[in-house]
Amino acid sequence: MGIVIAVISGKGGVGKTTTTANIGLGISSNNKRCVVLDFDIGQRNLDMLLGLENRVVYDIVQVMDEEVSLKQALIKSKMNDNFFFLAASQTRDKSALESPKILKLLTSLKKEFDFIILDAPAGIESGYEHTIEYADTAIIVVNPEVSSIRDADRAIGILDSKSQKVKDGSEVNKYLIINRINPKMVQSGEMLSSEDIIDILSIPLLGKVPEDKGIIDASNQGKPVILDKKSPAGQAYERISNRLCGIDVDMPDVEVVKSGFINKIRGIFK
Amino acid sequence: MRTRQYSVKVCEMTLTNENEFISFFDINHELFKDYLIVINGQSSQKILDYLDEKDIKYLFNVSLPKSQGRITAEKVIQEQQEIHEIKQKEITEELSKLSNRLHNNLKVRDTLVRSGQELNIKGDLLLLNRVNSGATINIDGNLIITQIVDGLIKCNGNFMIIKTSEKANILFHQQEIEYESLMDRLNKIEFIDNKIVITPISKETNWVS
Repeated sequence: MGIVIAVISGKGGVGKTTTTANIGLGISSNNKRCVVLDFDIGQRNLDMLLGLENRVVYDIVQVMDEEVSLKQALIKSKMNDNFFFLAASQTRDKSALESPKILKLLTSLKKEFDFIILDAPAGIESGYEHTIEYADTAIIVVNPEVSSIRDADRAIGILDSKSQKVKDGSEVNKYLIINRINPKMVQSGEMLSSEDIIDILSIPLLGKVPEDKGIIDASNQGKPVILDKKSPAGQAYERISNRLCGIDVDMPDVEVVKSGFINKIRGIFK
Repeated sequence: MRTRQYSVKVCEMTLTNENEFISFFDINHELFKDYLIVINGQSSQKILDYLDEKDIKYLFNVSLPKSQGRITAEKVIQEQQEIHEIKQKEITEELSKLSNRLHNNLKVRDTLVRSGQELNIKGDLLLLNRVNSGATINIDGNLIITQIVDGLIKCNGNFMIIKTSEKANILFHQQEIEYESLMDRLNKIEFIDNKIVITPISKETNWVS
C-alpha cells in the first residue's frame, strides 16, 4: 500500500509544483514507484515542468468520470521508469472534483504505487479541500516571508479540521519545506530565519531549499532541477526525497553563505 | 412553693355599655356561677360592686393563652419546613455557582491557535501555546498565554497575562492596548480603580512544564 502525500502551501507561487516535480523524480530514483497528480484542475502546470507537455492525451477528470482507464491516462516519464504522471484537466474547473471519485482513484493508485504525490492548487477553496481530503501526509511549502507563512498556517488549520484522517480520529503527518531561501538576506535579517518559521508553524522540518536561478531555466526546459547535480536547489530536493524514502540524511545549513576569498578579506576590514 | 392546677371554664366578654352589661347579668348571672369571667374593657366602681354583689369571679383585661388547633399547628410546621428547604436550595445553588467559577470554567489548551481559527470562550483560559497572526481569541474571563501572541485578542475578564509581538492586536474591555506599553515581555493587564494598569512581569516565569 502506497502513501498519499499532498503538497500544499496556501499562497500561490511559493514553489508547490516545482517541489512536487522534483521530489517525485527524486523518490523514483530511489527505486520506489511514484506517481504525481496535478490537482490544479483548470490550470495545468506540472506537465510543463516535467517536460511531458506533448504527451498529455487524457486527464485526471476523464479517469475519475471513467471515460478512460487509469492505464490509458498515466504517462510514464522518460527520465525514470518508476515515475508516472497524471495530468490535470485544462478544460474543466475545480467543481469536477468529487470526494467518492477521488477516493476511488487514490485507492486504485495505492495498490500500484509506493508514493502518490498530489500537487494542490493555491488557495484554500474546494480544490484544496479535495486535495487534502484523503492525504496521509502533507508537505507544506513556504517561503521565508510573512504572507506565505500566514497562508500556510491557515492551510494547516483547514487540514487539521477537514481531512478524512482527522475525522476518523487520527492525524495527518505534516512536514515543512522552506523554499527559496536567500542566505544573504537571512543573514542580514531581511528574511525570516528557519527557526522563526518552525516556531510559528510548529511542524517538523523536512528540508530547506535555497533560492536558485537554475530553477527557472530547468522549468522552462522541462527538466526538473534535481537532475542537475551541481545545483544547490537540486541537491536540497535530493536530500528531501531521500528523507521521504527513509534514508537518514544530515541537514546542511543552506543559510550560511560560503565565504570565498574576497568575502574573507572584506571580513577583516569590517 | 406550692402549685395547683385547675381546669376552669372561662367566658370572655367585652364591656362597652355598662347598663347593657348589668342588664345581661341580671338575667343570666345564674348561668355564669361556675365560670371565670374575663372582661375586656374599662372597669368602673359601679361594675366592680355589681360583680361582687352577684358573687361572680372575674378578671379584667387579661390576655388568655389560646391553644392552637392541630391543623394550624401542622400548617405552621409545614411552612417552617418549606422555608428551610428553600434556604437549603439557595445555599446549594450559591455553592455550585462558586465552584463553577473556581474549576469548571477554566479551560486549558496546549495546541497553537492558527491563522483563521477563532476561539470563543465564556470562562477562563490558560493557553500553553502561541497565537499566530490572523488568529482570534474572544474571551469573557481571564486569560493567560505562556507563549507569544501575534493575533487578535479580545478579553473582557478581570486580568490577562500575555506576551505579544508588534503584529498583535490586543483589546481589553474594548480598549486597544498599544504595543509601546507592552513591549517584548510578559505583562499583566488588569483593571484597578476603573483604569487599565499594565505591570511588566520582569522576573522570568517558571511555568510548570
